Amino acid sequence: MSSSEQGFPFLLRPALHAARNRARQRERGDLARAAVFGSVGLGVAGALFGVFFWLTWQLLGYAELGDYLVRLGLSWLFLTFLSFLAFSGLVTSLSTFFLSEDLRLLVAAPVRADRLFYSRFSRTVVQASWMVVTFLLPVLLGVGLARCAGALYWAAAALTVAPFVIIPVALGCLMTLVLVNVFPARRARDVLMLMGVLFGVVLVLLLRFLQPERLLRVESLPDITAFFATLQSPVTPLLPSFWAGEVLFTALQGGVDWLHAGALWTTAVALTVLARAAFGRYYFTGWSKAQEARKARFTRLRALERLSALLPVSPAARHLLLKDLKVFLRDTTQWSQLLLLVALMMVYLYNFRVLDLDRIPYMSGVVKNAYAFVNLAMGAFVLSAVAVRFVFPAVSAEGAAFWIVRSSPVSMKAFLWSKFWTGLFPVLGLAEALTLLSNEFLGADPALKWLAGAAIFCMSFALVGLAAGLGAQYPRFQAENVTQVAGSYGGIAYMILAVLFILVETALLAWPASLYMWHRFQALPLSNARMVMMVLSLAAALALSVVTFWLPMRRGVQALEDLGGAPA
Amino acid sequence: MIAIHDLVKKYGPFTAVDGVSLDVSAGEIHGFLGPNGAGKTTTIRIVAGLLKPTSGRVMIDGHDLAQAPEAAKASLGFIPDRPFLYEKLTAGEFLRFHGGLYGMDGNGIGRRVGEMLELFELTQWEGELVESFSHGMKQRLVMCAAFLHRPRAVVVDEPMVGLDPRGARLIKQVFRAMSAQGVGILMSTHTLEVAEEMCDRISIIQKGRIIARGTVEELRAMAGSSDEQLTPVFLKLTGGGALQEIDELL
Repeated sequence: MSSSEQGFPFLLRPALHAARNRARQRERGDLARAAVFGSVGLGVAGALFGVFFWLTWQLLGYAELGDYLVRLGLSWLFLTFLSFLAFSGLVTSLSTFFLSEDLRLLVAAPVRADRLFYSRFSRTVVQASWMVVTFLLPVLLGVGLARCAGALYWAAAALTVAPFVIIPVALGCLMTLVLVNVFPARRARDVLMLMGVLFGVVLVLLLRFLQPERLLRVESLPDITAFFATLQSPVTPLLPSFWAGEVLFTALQGGVDWLHAGALWTTAVALTVLARAAFGRYYFTGWSKAQEARKARFTRLRALERLSALLPVSPAARHLLLKDLKVFLRDTTQWSQLLLLVALMMVYLYNFRVLDLDRIPYMSGVVKNAYAFVNLAMGAFVLSAVAVRFVFPAVSAEGAAFWIVRSSPVSMKAFLWSKFWTGLFPVLGLAEALTLLSNEFLGADPALKWLAGAAIFCMSFALVGLAAGLGAQYPRFQAENVTQVAGSYGGIAYMILAVLFILVETALLAWPASLYMWHRFQALPLSNARMVMMVLSLAAALALSVVTFWLPMRRGVQALEDLGGAPA
Repeated sequence: MIAIHDLVKKYGPFTAVDGVSLDVSAGEIHGFLGPNGAGKTTTIRIVAGLLKPTSGRVMIDGHDLAQAPEAAKASLGFIPDRPFLYEKLTAGEFLRFHGGLYGMDGNGIGRRVGEMLELFELTQWEGELVESFSHGMKQRLVMCAAFLHRPRAVVVDEPMVGLDPRGARLIKQVFRAMSAQGVGILMSTHTLEVAEEMCDRISIIQKGRIIARGTVEELRAMAGSSDEQLTPVFLKLTGGGALQEIDELL
């Protein structure tokens, strides 16, 4: 049988074989990565299961009100996942239908349009929904076990999840088809990426500025009617999330909700057929547009050129900096993440602003000063998360174009230091702003404010040096995007070392500082021996920062110089 | 301009380059020929400073590449076989960046960039992002960069790959003009017609060793061939006679 006569699963073979071969391939750090991600994943799944089991169990005691809340909860749960699935379907289908490298081979081959559609569609459904399904499983398991559900519930769960994920993904595919026929595919990806980040930013800000802590204050609770009205408002009977919730809730009671199950399945099938027809009609036009060369629109960034000309550095260093900034600012996938970072920073600072420690009258001074160190550690942790995302991949980001720098008369030392300085200034600014502002909002002691400001300065050097150095020691020039680089063996090693560094550094700073504060509050003089110990502790913190910054940078330069020893 | 002495490159037990020595004098275009996997690209990449040799020495314009890599690289231009570039820079920005790496800065760089773009017929693309360029345009942009800093020597890996006939003719003219100005060019290629047409001398490498060196006439004499074309000579020298017979049968 020729390939053109094979069913559509035949077209999924390359992806399946590639996945199998990747699983067989062993790379350094695989075990560490699997252990870290596996434990985190299991922990999250366990927590989800525990929370939903406990909640459902608790609601059992509230009879009809409990049932009502379970029913509402299921609808809410599916509604949340529905929005994620729709967006995920949109982004994934852009890649699977229009941007995948293997499409040239498949479109050029005598493959029937419907087989190509069904193979890509099933791939899109799996890729777009696996994470949602992974989260959904422990939740449904928790609810079912808490209610001692019968076989009907488990069968309903299996039969509900499939059409529930197909519907938003099919809609996402249709939306992508429209987008690609309007914009070129690569431009559409930029638009989508930006939309996704803005979606995340708005979500984070909304959730935080709703001030959920107010719910803990009895005086701010609304009356019961308003409470239920608020809860019920987004649940509409026309959405698949409502249908899925109803089917599962009925199954939980031991019944079968044929109406909503039928609505789910018929909508899923109808949308798949519609998508198939639309792709048959408009796919090739869109795909063809995605292949066409275009004159891209971009910002010239002339102000950057003028500013960089003022820097008192060598031409090579200036041009390396300028190149890195331009490449970063012209890549939507890169700079758009800054929006999310700014939103998280605002939430972080806002938390300190609304933190009402004066409610603990006798302890507020002590708690505030203890919080200053928690804040220092947290600020450093944010700093390391930013560094692993933006500084660690800096060397790898050169990618296949690294030959340009390597064949030029620029030493690897100058190159890596350029990456270090490019990363340091924004990270240092961010870290100082976070630490100083949050300590200001917190009302920490002035001495601690100064100490924290100086400490985060040293820690920025250390964490950026560690990121740049390790990034050079474990580069991934073949990685398709920076997220892959940050999640590599080197990235995980960086995060582990960074957390260890932050803990030790904070302890070395907190001990002498708390001793000083204690003696000051008690109006007691410090003995010479204690003062020596305090100075030694602070000196050790400084030395640790210097070593954490210097050693990886030296090794990073060495690793880059040794790159030529590797097979071509 | 380029002098290679007893160059060896080993990958574990496999020897990719086995005692290669050659020199390219000022103004010479030296062809570097060999079958696939013979060690051409490895040698070229060592000369460009991208690979560290297991042993041996590379001198560029009198500078030892191992002892004074920056000085040696400053005298060299490199044109790789695949033009990977920074996709988010414009052609003009890329050339200014490249010039910056070679210490070129200030007002002079703008004029030089303009000259190079004009020479390689890319002037109208100066303000466009590299990501919108075709393979041939990227290859020409790489060549602009290689000649931008007025190198004394140039190493080229497969210069004609992806170029249309007009582009190929342009490159030949530029190489000849540069060689007339005293630039030494070491050029690896599979296109025997190009080697025959352009090279003053040719070295043939096989299994990591140089097996023949000389002008086209000298190589013909070595192979004992009276063929006018270089292809049969190359096949005889590299043991590909059987292949040629198959080719003739087909």
